[in-house]
Amino acid sequence: MNRIFRKLGWMARRSEKEAELSDELRFHLQEEAEQAEAAGLTAEQARSAAQRELGNVALLMEDTRATWGWTWLERFWQDLRYAVRMLRRNPGFAAAAILSLALGIGANTAIFSLLDAVVFRPLPVANPRQLVQFTNTLPLWETGSSIPNSLYAYPQLERFQSQSKTLSGMFGWAGLGRMNVGFHGTSGIADAEACSGDFFSVLGIAPQYGRFFSAGEDRVGAPVAVIGDGYWRDRFGADPSIVGSAITLNRIPFTVIGIAPPEFWGVSVGSSPDLWLPLHAMDRFKPDSRRWTEPFSAWMQIAGRLRPGIPREQAQAELDVIHRHFLRERMSISELGGLENVQRFAREGHLLLRPAASGVDSGLRDSYASALKLLMWVAGIVLLVACVNVANLLLARASHRRREIAVRMALGASRGRLVRQLVTESMVLALAGGLLAIPMAWWGSLALVSMISAADSPVPLAVDPDWTTFAFTAAVSLLAGILFGLAPALRGTRADPGPVLKEGTRPVGRSSHTLDRALVVAQVALSVVLVTGAGLFLRTLGKLWDVNTGYDRENVLMFSVDAKLAGYPSDRAGAVYREILQKVRALPGVTSATASIVRPVDDEFNLLDQVNEIDGRSLPEPSVIRVAWNATSPGYFSTISTPLVSGRDFDSHDGESAPKVVIVSESLANRAFPNRNPIGHRLGDATIVGVVKDSLYRGARDRPRPLLYHPLFQHGPDQEYRWGFVSFELRYGSLSNLAEEVRREVASVDPNLPVFRSKTLAAQTAESLMEERLLAALSTFFGALALLLACVGLYGLMAYAVARRTAEIGIRLALGARRDGILWLVLRETLWLTLAGIAAGVPLALWAARYAKSELFGVSPADPLTIGVTVALLLGVAALAGYIPARRAVGVDPVVALRYE
Amino acid sequence: MTARAASRVDLLQGTLDLLILRTLLLGRAHGHAIAKHIQRTSGDLLQVETGSLYPALHRLEARGWIAAAWELSEKGKRAKYYRLTAKGREQLHAERTKWETFSRAMGLVLNPLNREPV
Repeated sequence: MNRIFRKLGWMARRSEKEAELSDELRFHLQEEAEQAEAAGLTAEQARSAAQRELGNVALLMEDTRATWGWTWLERFWQDLRYAVRMLRRNPGFAAAAILSLALGIGANTAIFSLLDAVVFRPLPVANPRQLVQFTNTLPLWETGSSIPNSLYAYPQLERFQSQSKTLSGMFGWAGLGRMNVGFHGTSGIADAEACSGDFFSVLGIAPQYGRFFSAGEDRVGAPVAVIGDGYWRDRFGADPSIVGSAITLNRIPFTVIGIAPPEFWGVSVGSSPDLWLPLHAMDRFKPDSRRWTEPFSAWMQIAGRLRPGIPREQAQAELDVIHRHFLRERMSISELGGLENVQRFAREGHLLLRPAASGVDSGLRDSYASALKLLMWVAGIVLLVACVNVANLLLARASHRRREIAVRMALGASRGRLVRQLVTESMVLALAGGLLAIPMAWWGSLALVSMISAADSPVPLAVDPDWTTFAFTAAVSLLAGILFGLAPALRGTRADPGPVLKEGTRPVGRSSHTLDRALVVAQVALSVVLVTGAGLFLRTLGKLWDVNTGYDRENVLMFSVDAKLAGYPSDRAGAVYREILQKVRALPGVTSATASIVRPVDDEFNLLDQVNEIDGRSLPEPSVIRVAWNATSPGYFSTISTPLVSGRDFDSHDGESAPKVVIVSESLANRAFPNRNPIGHRLGDATIVGVVKDSLYRGARDRPRPLLYHPLFQHGPDQEYRWGFVSFELRYGSLSNLAEEVRREVASVDPNLPVFRSKTLAAQTAESLMEERLLAALSTFFGALALLLACVGLYGLMAYAVARRTAEIGIRLALGARRDGILWLVLRETLWLTLAGIAAGVPLALWAARYAKSELFGVSPADPLTIGVTVALLLGVAALAGYIPARRAVGVDPVVALRYE
Repeated sequence: MTARAASRVDLLQGTLDLLILRTLLLGRAHGHAIAKHIQRTSGDLLQVETGSLYPALHRLEARGWIAAAWELSEKGKRAKYYRLTAKGREQLHAERTKWETFSRAMGLVLNPLNREPV
């Protein structure tokens, strides 16, 4: 400690010490000279003898300084200043190197910050590593396999809470979807979540204003709400006095009791509720006593916190026993206990705890994690190409600096010292690139988030750079600096200074250029990989877009309305929807209008049911048909252009009191009535009146599946319109202002009815292909970037080669070589290098493409068209890169070239 | 090769430190005087290179074994005088013991017949 202070002190009075050392040595010299003079030498002789005795003063001072400590820091500072000076002397080189590095590092940082936000970043709560999510296995009778499931019944939460000893606390929650939030006469839509009373206390977060739910507050009739920070800012202007105010949710009064802290967005990445209500507040919207008692109707998610020191496996073992015991015990009592799948669930299901440090199950994470990881690789390759580029620039420069380096070696600089200095120069380049990359990355990650956001619902992701991102950038920059700096530094200092100093400024020697060539070949090879990837993803997107989905996505506008949000009870909702339908149908420019529960390429609904009775004959459980279903108003099929194969569409007579009817898809017809006409047959208690062509229920990646359609105004009231909202589909002649007119018409029915999810079917389709579009767009961008860098690399190498061989070319020309022969000489070398790169790149691309297979659609990883186009593209770009230096070579004037010699 | 260089004994690493500390046991001295003292007392066998002396002095100072102060020399010139610190005294003792053990061991190995000390 003492020593460090002493050293610090010495560092501080550095110049003073330098002066003292000089004084000390001068005194020594004087003493020595005086003694020599006393011994009989002349003053002149004595002085030179003393000087001789003292020896190499510079070395002596250097050695003495070394004992003061921290010379490495001084040398580093020296190197740093020298590096900056060298770079400023070559601004073109520095700019090219820094820019290509900044692009490479920026791309990596942008993708990383998104990947971090989606996959890695821990929840902003106390000790996130202790959080676990409850999941269970759900055996499927069709396949005999199990699927993971994260839904539980409420009585299970109570059981876990009363019996678990390994968890210090747990909570349950369920999304409530959209709510109409009324405040001082204004209304607006917000996303609400219901959570058990200890949600916030188990997570261990504190409100920024007000309070969270208190113990025992989660009970029937609880009129309290907590507001998220983002919604508080947007809707309430960040006014703290909102705490204690009354708001209405779907016209039901609530009191705001607190505001969540700004960093807390929820527990599942990509979903960020605007407000939280106690679980039991659900009864105020729709009382359902079975919700709290039925053990086999799973609707909520559960997560908990491990007690300190308890491993997850131990907690899982304990909770699994509780889970299975609960299921067996309740099966005998429940009215659902007789169902075979419930019995299998109780017999074979197991509880699994999943680590939830970075949040619970997330749809966003499921959709994008693999794409982002893939893009991380792609960005890494781009950085590699950029590094190779800079390494090449450094190599070219090193040959111009051979003389300088030789001189310094001849003056006694050690190789290690020179390598260190050259690597310092690379580091300066890398860090400058990294610094420039930060704003680029920030902009890039915001652009990425907006790319994966639907037009009307931005993805709530915090991607602003944090320490993790900065650390990542710094690490990547340093790594890049070493990567591209070390090889040129080692090669540049290998030379024996003697010959270099003799030969003059003109660099010669063929052997030393194999490294540049190898680097350019590597660059081409890596570009082949990226361009192939881009091609595959573009082809995938094209194929998906061209899939025949069974409906016509052009000229269809869709929007959703939920009568519940304006406080309508379910028995009056049907009338509201009918009225809206009538009004929008009458709009000019609208050729037809219909309503349905599930819209084509729906992003919110996936309704499944099963057909277990055909013509009054009940099916044994293994042959029960799992169907997807929808409920539509008359005219749905003609509006979206799905052809009716036989029978009729629903009509206005298929109302509440009419006999029940259904329409089936061809797949369902073939499955239930093979080789028979299904019209007039009965599924359950409904008669089949029509068969329609198969359409893809979940969008382009779906397969045709059994689909059952109910008449909306017959089925809806029966279901109490519990799916909440209805989608309207309008086929239009012209879109101009249609969305605005629709809003007006809906408001004329009831001004409190919000319109949402208003978008064309084409836009909805595009949003459903978001992941593919992200991959295609970014891989194309990165592929182009890599191609550009490779092109610059090739150009640089060839331009340098031509400059180096000016004399040779001059001699050839003087001896009568044809100019096109010279052109070919240069082009041939470029093409050979490119072909070598392609030969190495194609197998690499084929190998890499296998890892992207799950992201591809309708195109094989070894797609010959893609590979062919890639090869052609690279050859074209290479020819271009080689042509410019080749032209210059042809333009060489033999007289000038030889005189230059 | 000059005669002086041929007869000079190269100093072992660390030996110079011991010689400096021993010299300063007699009292404070400046760098030149230390070098001359070592040379004189060794009967001109040990020649201290100035190029090693000053780094060594500064190293010992950094370790806190010797301390330095600017004072006037007997001829009235400003000179940097070094003196032994308490810590240096301990160090000298330790180094000296080590050195004596080492040189006795060397003697035993090189002259196995003269087992009794002279």
